[in-house]
Amino acid sequence: MALHLNLLHEEITEQRQRQRDPLKLGTFALIAIGALMVLFYVFKAYQTLETKNRLSGVQHEWSGIEAKVTAAQKRSRELTTMVSTTRVLDSMIEKRFLWGPLLARLSRCVAPNVQLVNVAGSAEEKLVSITIDGIAAGREPRAAAEELRQLLSEQLGQSYAETKVEFKTLEDLDTLINVSGTNMPVARYSINVTLSPKPPEAVATAPVTSAARVKR
Amino acid sequence: MTPKIKLSKDQIQKLALSSIGLIVLVYVYLNFFLGPLNKSRASMEATIADLQQKLGSSKGEMARADSLQREAGTATTRYAALQALAPEGAPIAWFPPRMKAFFANQQIDKAGARLGNSTALKEPELEAWSNYSWLIDLPQADFSTLGNAIAQLENAEPLLSINKINIRILPDQPQFQQVELTAYTVMQKK
Repeated sequence: MALHLNLLHEEITEQRQRQRDPLKLGTFALIAIGALMVLFYVFKAYQTLETKNRLSGVQHEWSGIEAKVTAAQKRSRELTTMVSTTRVLDSMIEKRFLWGPLLARLSRCVAPNVQLVNVAGSAEEKLVSITIDGIAAGREPRAAAEELRQLLSEQLGQSYAETKVEFKTLEDLDTLINVSGTNMPVARYSINVTLSPKPPEAVATAPVTSAARVKR
Repeated sequence: MTPKIKLSKDQIQKLALSSIGLIVLVYVYLNFFLGPLNKSRASMEATIADLQQKLGSSKGEMARADSLQREAGTATTRYAALQALAPEGAPIAWFPPRMKAFFANQQIDKAGARLGNSTALKEPELEAWSNYSWLIDLPQADFSTLGNAIAQLENAEPLLSINKINIRILPDQPQFQQVELTAYTVMQKK
Protein backbone atom coordinates (compact mmCIF):
# COMPACT_ATOMS: atom_id res chain seq x y z
CA MET A 1 0.00 0.00 0.00
CA ALA A 2 1.38 3.33 -1.13
CA LEU A 3 1.77 6.09 1.40
CA HIS A 4 0.27 9.50 0.49
CA LEU A 5 1.58 12.57 2.11
CA ASN A 6 -0.62 15.65 1.94
CA LEU A 7 1.76 18.52 1.97
CA LEU A 8 -0.91 21.05 0.83
CA HIS A 9 -3.34 20.41 3.66
CA GLU A 10 -3.69 24.03 4.70
CA GLU A 11 -4.16 25.29 1.18
CA ILE A 12 -6.85 22.70 0.45
CA THR A 13 -8.70 23.56 3.66
CA GLU A 14 -8.60 27.24 2.78
CA GLN A 15 -9.90 26.46 -0.70
CA ARG A 16 -12.75 24.43 0.77
CA GLN A 17 -13.60 27.24 3.17
CA ARG A 18 -13.63 29.72 0.28
CA GLN A 19 -16.01 27.43 -1.62
CA ARG A 20 -18.34 27.22 1.40
CA ASP A 21 -18.26 30.91 2.07
CA PRO A 22 -21.75 31.72 3.39
CA LEU A 23 -21.75 35.15 1.80
CA LYS A 24 -21.05 33.67 -1.57
CA LEU A 25 -23.65 30.94 -1.09
CA GLY A 26 -26.16 33.49 0.14
CA THR A 27 -25.55 35.65 -2.91
CA PHE A 28 -26.12 32.65 -5.18
CA ALA A 29 -29.30 31.77 -3.33
CA LEU A 30 -30.52 35.36 -3.58
CA ILE A 31 -29.83 35.45 -7.29
CA ALA A 32 -31.66 32.12 -7.75
CA ILE A 33 -34.66 33.27 -5.71
CA GLY A 34 -34.69 36.61 -7.55
CA ALA A 35 -34.62 34.83 -10.91
CA LEU A 36 -37.50 32.57 -9.82
CA MET A 37 -39.49 35.58 -8.67
CA VAL A 38 -38.94 37.39 -11.95
CA LEU A 39 -39.95 34.30 -13.89
CA PHE A 40 -43.08 33.87 -11.80
CA TYR A 41 -43.94 37.55 -12.26
CA VAL A 42 -43.49 37.28 -16.01
CA PHE A 43 -45.75 34.21 -16.04
CA LYS A 44 -48.43 36.04 -14.04
CA ALA A 45 -48.07 39.15 -16.21
CA TYR A 46 -48.60 37.01 -19.28
CA GLN A 47 -51.73 35.51 -17.73
CA THR A 48 -53.00 39.02 -16.89
CA LEU A 49 -52.31 40.18 -20.42
CA GLU A 50 -54.25 37.22 -21.75
CA THR A 51 -57.17 38.04 -19.42
CA LYS A 52 -57.01 41.66 -20.56
CA ASN A 53 -57.27 40.57 -24.18
CA ARG A 54 -60.21 38.34 -23.32
CA LEU A 55 -61.89 41.21 -21.45
CA SER A 56 -61.42 43.60 -24.34
CA GLY A 57 -63.00 40.98 -26.67
CA VAL A 58 -66.03 40.54 -24.40
CA GLN A 59 -66.30 44.31 -23.92
CA HIS A 60 -66.24 44.80 -27.67
CA GLU A 61 -68.97 42.18 -28.11
CA TRP A 62 -71.02 43.79 -25.33
CA SER A 63 -70.62 47.32 -26.68
CA GLY A 64 -71.96 46.07 -30.01
CA ILE A 65 -75.04 44.55 -28.43
CA GLU A 66 -75.59 46.89 -25.46
CA ALA A 67 -77.58 49.55 -27.32
CA LYS A 68 -79.84 46.90 -28.81
CA VAL A 69 -80.34 45.21 -25.44
CA THR A 70 -81.12 48.50 -23.71
CA ALA A 71 -83.61 49.35 -26.44
CA ALA A 72 -85.14 45.85 -26.20
CA GLN A 73 -85.41 46.12 -22.40
CA LYS A 74 -87.04 49.55 -22.68
CA ARG A 75 -89.46 48.33 -25.35
CA SER A 76 -90.20 45.23 -23.30
CA ARG A 77 -91.00 47.37 -20.24
CA GLU A 78 -93.19 49.67 -22.32
CA LEU A 79 -95.05 46.75 -23.87
CA THR A 80 -95.60 45.05 -20.52
CA THR A 81 -96.93 48.29 -19.04
CA MET A 82 -99.11 48.86 -22.07
CA VAL A 83 -100.53 45.33 -22.05
CA SER A 84 -101.34 45.47 -18.33
CA THR A 85 -102.83 48.98 -18.67
CA THR A 86 -104.98 47.86 -21.59
CA ARG A 87 -106.09 44.83 -19.59
CA VAL A 88 -107.12 46.99 -16.63
CA LEU A 89 -108.86 49.52 -18.87
CA ASP A 90 -110.72 46.73 -20.69
CA SER A 91 -111.84 45.27 -17.40
CA MET A 92 -113.08 48.72 -16.34
CA ILE A 93 -114.95 49.04 -19.63
CA GLU A 94 -116.51 45.60 -19.20
CA LYS A 95 -117.52 46.30 -15.62
CA ARG A 96 -119.35 49.55 -16.49
CA PHE A 97 -123.02 49.57 -15.88
CA LEU A 98 -124.84 50.55 -19.06
CA TRP A 99 -127.89 52.73 -18.49
CA GLY A 100 -129.13 52.65 -22.10
CA PRO A 101 -130.54 49.09 -21.95
CA LEU A 102 -132.04 49.72 -18.50
CA LEU A 103 -133.84 52.86 -19.70
CA ALA A 104 -135.12 50.93 -22.72
CA ARG A 105 -136.56 48.20 -20.46
CA LEU A 106 -137.99 50.82 -18.12
CA SER A 107 -139.80 52.55 -21.00
CA ARG A 108 -141.36 49.21 -22.01
CA CYS A 109 -142.96 48.86 -18.58
CA VAL A 110 -144.74 52.20 -18.48
CA ALA A 111 -148.42 51.88 -19.41
CA PRO A 112 -150.42 54.93 -20.59
CA ASN A 113 -152.16 55.27 -17.21
CA VAL A 114 -148.86 55.42 -15.35
CA GLN A 115 -146.56 58.41 -15.21
CA LEU A 116 -143.01 58.59 -13.97
CA VAL A 117 -142.27 61.85 -12.22
CA ASN A 118 -138.75 61.24 -11.07
CA VAL A 119 -136.22 58.52 -11.77
CA ALA A 120 -133.03 58.62 -9.72
CA GLY A 121 -130.43 55.92 -10.05
CA SER A 122 -126.91 55.27 -8.94
CA ALA A 123 -124.56 52.52 -10.03
CA GLU A 124 -121.93 51.19 -7.68
CA GLU A 125 -119.53 48.38 -8.48
CA LYS A 126 -121.80 45.62 -7.18
CA LEU A 127 -125.20 47.21 -6.79
CA VAL A 128 -127.41 49.46 -8.84
CA SER A 129 -130.22 51.20 -7.04
CA ILE A 130 -133.00 53.17 -8.66
CA THR A 131 -135.85 55.09 -7.10
CA ILE A 132 -138.86 55.66 -9.31
CA ASP A 133 -141.48 58.17 -8.19
CA GLY A 134 -144.68 58.62 -10.13
CA ILE A 135 -148.43 58.53 -10.26
CA ALA A 136 -150.80 55.83 -11.48
CA ALA A 137 -154.38 56.39 -12.54
CA GLY A 138 -157.24 53.94 -13.04
CA ARG A 139 -160.29 52.56 -11.41
CA GLU A 140 -157.84 50.76 -9.14
CA PRO A 141 -154.81 53.07 -9.15
CA ARG A 142 -152.96 50.87 -6.65
CA ALA A 143 -153.42 47.91 -8.98
CA ALA A 144 -152.00 49.99 -11.84
CA ALA A 145 -148.97 50.81 -9.71
CA GLU A 146 -148.60 47.15 -8.73
CA GLU A 147 -148.77 46.19 -12.39
CA LEU A 148 -145.89 48.56 -13.06
CA ARG A 149 -143.90 47.03 -10.19
CA GLN A 150 -144.51 43.50 -11.48
CA LEU A 151 -143.58 44.47 -15.03
CA LEU A 152 -140.41 46.12 -13.81
CA SER A 153 -139.54 43.02 -11.79
CA GLU A 154 -140.17 40.76 -14.78
CA GLN A 155 -138.40 42.92 -17.38
CA LEU A 156 -135.38 43.78 -15.29
CA GLY A 157 -135.10 40.24 -13.92
CA GLN A 158 -134.55 39.01 -17.47
CA SER A 159 -131.40 41.10 -17.85
CA TYR A 160 -130.01 41.59 -14.38
CA ALA A 161 -129.33 39.35 -11.42
CA GLU A 162 -130.60 39.78 -7.88
CA THR A 163 -133.34 42.14 -9.00
CA LYS A 164 -135.57 43.46 -6.24
CA VAL A 165 -138.46 45.78 -6.99
CA GLU A 166 -140.29 47.01 -3.93
CA PHE A 167 -142.70 49.75 -3.07
CA LYS A 168 -141.29 52.39 -0.82
CA THR A 169 -144.61 54.23 -0.61
CA LEU A 170 -147.98 53.81 -2.26
CA GLU A 171 -150.78 56.20 -1.31
CA ASP A 172 -154.09 57.31 -2.79
CA LEU A 173 -154.47 60.96 -3.70
CA ASP A 174 -157.66 62.93 -3.27
CA THR A 175 -157.51 64.41 -6.77
CA LEU A 176 -159.00 62.89 -9.92
CA ILE A 177 -157.35 63.13 -13.34
CA ASN A 178 -158.81 62.77 -16.78
CA VAL A 179 -157.60 59.74 -18.71
CA SER A 180 -159.13 59.29 -22.18
CA GLY A 181 -162.13 61.44 -21.21
CA THR A 182 -162.81 59.61 -17.92
CA ASN A 183 -162.05 60.98 -14.49
CA MET A 184 -160.08 58.47 -12.55
CA PRO A 185 -158.62 58.33 -9.06
CA VAL A 186 -154.87 58.61 -8.69
CA ALA A 187 -152.28 56.96 -6.49
CA ARG A 188 -148.77 58.19 -5.86
CA TYR A 189 -146.06 55.61 -5.65
CA SER A 190 -142.39 55.34 -4.99
CA ILE A 191 -140.61 52.18 -6.08
CA ASN A 192 -137.16 51.09 -5.06
CA VAL A 193 -135.26 48.91 -7.50
CA THR A 194 -132.02 47.22 -6.64
CA LEU A 195 -130.13 44.92 -8.97
CA SER A 196 -126.74 43.46 -9.62
CA PRO A 197 -125.01 44.81 -12.73
CA LYS A 198 -124.04 41.25 -13.72
CA PRO A 199 -126.28 39.31 -16.06
CA PRO A 200 -128.39 36.59 -14.32
CA GLU A 201 -126.44 33.61 -15.75
CA ALA A 202 -123.09 35.03 -14.55
CA VAL A 203 -124.37 35.15 -11.00
CA ALA A 204 -125.99 31.71 -11.28
CA THR A 205 -122.77 30.06 -12.40
CA ALA A 206 -120.62 31.78 -9.79
CA PRO A 207 -121.37 29.39 -6.88
CA VAL A 208 -120.71 26.35 -9.13
CA THR A 209 -117.31 27.74 -10.05
CA SER A 210 -116.40 28.45 -6.45
CA ALA A 211 -117.63 24.99 -5.39
CA ALA A 212 -115.47 23.40 -8.09
CA ARG A 213 -112.48 25.36 -6.80
CA VAL A 214 -113.09 24.10 -3.27
CA LYS A 215 -113.33 20.51 -4.55
CA ARG A 216 -109.91 20.81 -6.22
CA MET B 1 -17.73 15.14 9.77
CA THR B 2 -18.76 18.51 8.40
CA PRO B 3 -16.28 21.23 8.78
CA LYS B 4 -17.26 24.00 11.14
CA ILE B 5 -17.94 27.29 9.42
CA LYS B 6 -16.40 30.02 11.34
CA LEU B 7 -17.96 33.40 10.62
CA SER B 8 -16.28 36.61 11.42
CA LYS B 9 -18.21 39.53 12.94
CA ASP B 10 -18.16 41.31 9.60
CA GLN B 11 -19.59 38.25 7.86
CA ILE B 12 -22.36 37.91 10.45
CA GLN B 13 -23.32 41.57 9.91
CA LYS B 14 -23.38 41.07 6.16
CA LEU B 15 -25.52 37.95 6.54
CA ALA B 16 -27.97 39.76 8.82
CA LEU B 17 -28.19 42.66 6.39
CA SER B 18 -28.68 40.25 3.50
CA SER B 19 -31.47 38.48 5.37
CA ILE B 20 -33.21 41.78 6.06
CA GLY B 21 -32.72 42.70 2.41
CA LEU B 22 -34.26 39.40 1.34
CA ILE B 23 -37.30 39.93 3.57
CA VAL B 24 -37.78 43.47 2.24
CA LEU B 25 -37.41 42.21 -1.31
CA VAL B 26 -40.03 39.50 -0.81
CA TYR B 27 -42.38 42.01 0.84
CA VAL B 28 -41.97 44.52 -2.01
CA TYR B 29 -42.38 41.77 -4.58
CA LEU B 30 -45.59 40.46 -3.05
CA ASN B 31 -47.18 43.79 -2.22
CA PHE B 32 -46.10 46.05 -5.03
CA PHE B 33 -45.66 43.70 -7.96
CA LEU B 34 -47.48 40.39 -7.66
CA GLY B 35 -50.37 41.67 -5.48
CA PRO B 36 -51.60 44.44 -7.81
CA LEU B 37 -51.16 42.14 -10.78
CA ASN B 38 -53.32 39.44 -9.20
CA LYS B 39 -55.85 42.01 -8.02
CA SER B 40 -56.14 43.50 -11.48
CA ARG B 41 -56.53 40.04 -13.03
CA ALA B 42 -59.21 39.05 -10.51
CA SER B 43 -61.09 42.26 -11.22
CA MET B 44 -60.90 41.64 -14.96
CA GLU B 45 -62.12 38.05 -14.48
CA ALA B 46 -65.08 39.34 -12.47
CA THR B 47 -65.88 41.91 -15.18
CA ILE B 48 -65.67 39.18 -17.84
CA ALA B 49 -68.01 36.92 -15.86
CA ASP B 50 -70.43 39.81 -15.39
CA LEU B 51 -70.36 40.74 -19.06
CA GLN B 52 -70.76 37.14 -20.15
CA GLN B 53 -73.77 36.79 -17.88
CA LYS B 54 -75.18 39.99 -19.35
CA LEU B 55 -74.52 38.71 -22.87
CA GLY B 56 -76.24 35.44 -22.08
CA SER B 57 -79.30 37.08 -20.57
CA SER B 58 -79.41 39.81 -23.23
CA LYS B 59 -80.02 37.27 -25.96
CA GLY B 60 -83.00 35.93 -24.04
CA GLU B 61 -84.13 39.48 -23.33
CA MET B 62 -84.09 40.41 -26.99
CA ALA B 63 -85.92 37.25 -27.98
CA ARG B 64 -88.53 37.96 -25.28
CA ALA B 65 -88.98 41.54 -26.49
CA ASP B 66 -89.47 40.29 -30.04
CA SER B 67 -92.05 37.72 -29.02
CA LEU B 68 -93.77 40.26 -26.76
CA GLN B 69 -93.88 42.69 -29.67
CA ARG B 70 -95.62 40.06 -31.80
CA GLU B 71 -98.03 39.03 -29.05
CA ALA B 72 -98.89 42.59 -28.06
CA GLY B 73 -100.07 43.56 -31.51
CA THR B 74 -103.74 43.61 -30.55
CA ALA B 75 -103.07 45.31 -27.24
CA THR B 76 -100.96 47.98 -28.99
CA THR B 77 -103.77 48.79 -31.39
CA ARG B 78 -106.31 48.78 -28.58
CA TYR B 79 -104.13 50.98 -26.37
CA ALA B 80 -103.61 53.46 -29.19
CA ALA B 81 -107.38 53.54 -29.77
CA LEU B 82 -108.06 54.18 -26.08
CA GLN B 83 -105.43 56.92 -26.00
CA ALA B 84 -106.92 58.52 -29.09
CA LEU B 85 -110.26 58.91 -27.31
CA ALA B 86 -108.88 61.90 -25.44
CA PRO B 87 -107.40 64.68 -27.58
CA GLU B 88 -104.47 66.84 -26.52
CA GLY B 89 -105.10 69.55 -23.96
CA ALA B 90 -106.83 69.91 -20.64
CA PRO B 91 -110.03 67.82 -20.48
CA ILE B 92 -112.05 70.78 -19.24
CA ALA B 93 -111.22 72.55 -22.51
CA TRP B 94 -112.60 69.91 -24.82
CA PHE B 95 -114.92 67.59 -22.88
CA PRO B 96 -117.86 70.02 -22.25
CA PRO B 97 -117.98 71.17 -25.92
CA ARG B 98 -117.76 67.55 -27.02
CA MET B 99 -120.73 66.62 -24.82
CA LYS B 100 -122.70 69.63 -26.02
CA ALA B 101 -122.06 68.68 -29.64
CA PHE B 102 -122.82 65.02 -28.98
CA PHE B 103 -126.21 65.68 -27.35
CA ALA B 104 -127.07 68.34 -29.95
CA ASN B 105 -126.42 65.67 -32.56
CA GLN B 106 -128.88 63.46 -30.68
CA GLN B 107 -131.57 66.20 -30.78
CA ILE B 108 -131.00 67.22 -27.16
CA ASP B 109 -130.20 70.91 -26.94
CA LYS B 110 -128.70 73.05 -24.21
CA ALA B 111 -126.58 70.26 -22.80
CA GLY B 112 -123.93 71.41 -20.39
CA ALA B 113 -121.07 69.62 -18.67
CA ARG B 114 -118.93 70.80 -15.81
CA LEU B 115 -116.00 69.23 -14.10
CA GLY B 116 -116.61 67.85 -10.64
CA ASN B 117 -113.14 66.75 -9.67
CA SER B 118 -110.24 64.68 -10.86
CA THR B 119 -108.62 61.96 -8.83
CA ALA B 120 -105.78 59.52 -9.27
CA LEU B 121 -106.74 55.92 -9.91
CA LYS B 122 -105.82 53.33 -7.30
CA GLU B 123 -104.68 50.68 -9.81
CA PRO B 124 -100.87 50.77 -10.10
CA GLU B 125 -101.13 50.06 -13.85
CA LEU B 126 -103.06 53.31 -14.30
CA GLU B 127 -100.67 55.70 -12.63
CA ALA B 128 -100.44 57.68 -15.87
CA TRP B 129 -104.23 57.98 -16.04
CA SER B 130 -106.72 60.07 -14.06
CA ASN B 131 -110.36 59.78 -13.24
CA TYR B 132 -112.46 62.86 -14.02
CA SER B 133 -115.92 63.35 -12.62
CA TRP B 134 -118.38 65.33 -14.75
CA LEU B 135 -121.83 66.70 -14.08
CA ILE B 136 -123.80 66.65 -17.31
CA ASP B 137 -126.97 68.66 -17.34
CA LEU B 138 -129.68 68.16 -19.95
CA PRO B 139 -132.41 70.72 -19.14
CA GLN B 140 -134.92 69.47 -21.68
CA ALA B 141 -134.97 65.97 -23.13
CA ASP B 142 -137.57 63.54 -24.37
CA PHE B 143 -137.33 60.16 -22.59
CA SER B 144 -136.91 57.94 -25.65
CA THR B 145 -134.43 60.36 -27.26
CA LEU B 146 -132.58 60.46 -23.98
CA GLY B 147 -132.43 56.67 -23.78
CA ASN B 148 -131.01 56.44 -27.30
CA ALA B 149 -128.56 59.24 -26.63
CA ILE B 150 -127.28 57.60 -23.45
CA ALA B 151 -126.88 54.27 -25.24
CA GLN B 152 -124.99 56.02 -28.06
CA LEU B 153 -122.82 57.86 -25.54
CA GLU B 154 -121.96 54.65 -23.71
CA ASN B 155 -121.01 53.02 -27.00
CA ALA B 156 -119.02 55.97 -28.32
CA GLU B 157 -117.11 56.66 -25.10
CA PRO B 158 -115.94 53.33 -23.68
CA LEU B 159 -113.95 55.04 -20.94
CA LEU B 160 -116.98 56.96 -19.73
CA SER B 161 -119.26 55.43 -17.14
CA ILE B 162 -122.41 57.01 -15.84
CA ASN B 163 -122.52 56.68 -12.11
CA LYS B 164 -125.68 58.62 -11.26
CA ILE B 165 -128.71 59.54 -13.25
CA ASN B 166 -131.60 61.74 -12.27
CA ILE B 167 -134.58 62.20 -14.58
CA ARG B 168 -137.26 64.66 -13.49
CA ILE B 169 -140.41 65.59 -15.27
CA LEU B 170 -140.76 69.27 -16.18
CA PRO B 171 -143.90 70.54 -14.42
CA ASP B 172 -144.98 72.88 -17.23
CA GLN B 173 -143.95 70.53 -20.09
CA PRO B 174 -144.72 66.95 -19.01
CA GLN B 175 -143.52 65.55 -22.34
CA PHE B 176 -140.00 66.64 -21.49
CA GLN B 177 -137.65 65.68 -18.71
CA GLN B 178 -134.81 67.42 -17.01
CA VAL B 179 -131.82 65.12 -16.70
CA GLU B 180 -128.66 65.24 -14.63
CA LEU B 181 -125.92 62.72 -15.14
CA THR B 182 -122.80 62.14 -13.07
CA ALA B 183 -120.24 60.50 -15.28
CA TYR B 184 -116.65 59.41 -14.79
CA THR B 185 -114.08 59.37 -17.55
CA VAL B 186 -110.66 57.78 -17.39
CA MET B 187 -108.12 59.83 -19.32
CA GLN B 188 -104.40 59.77 -19.71
CA LYS B 189 -102.55 62.56 -17.93
CA LYS B 190 -101.11 64.95 -20.52
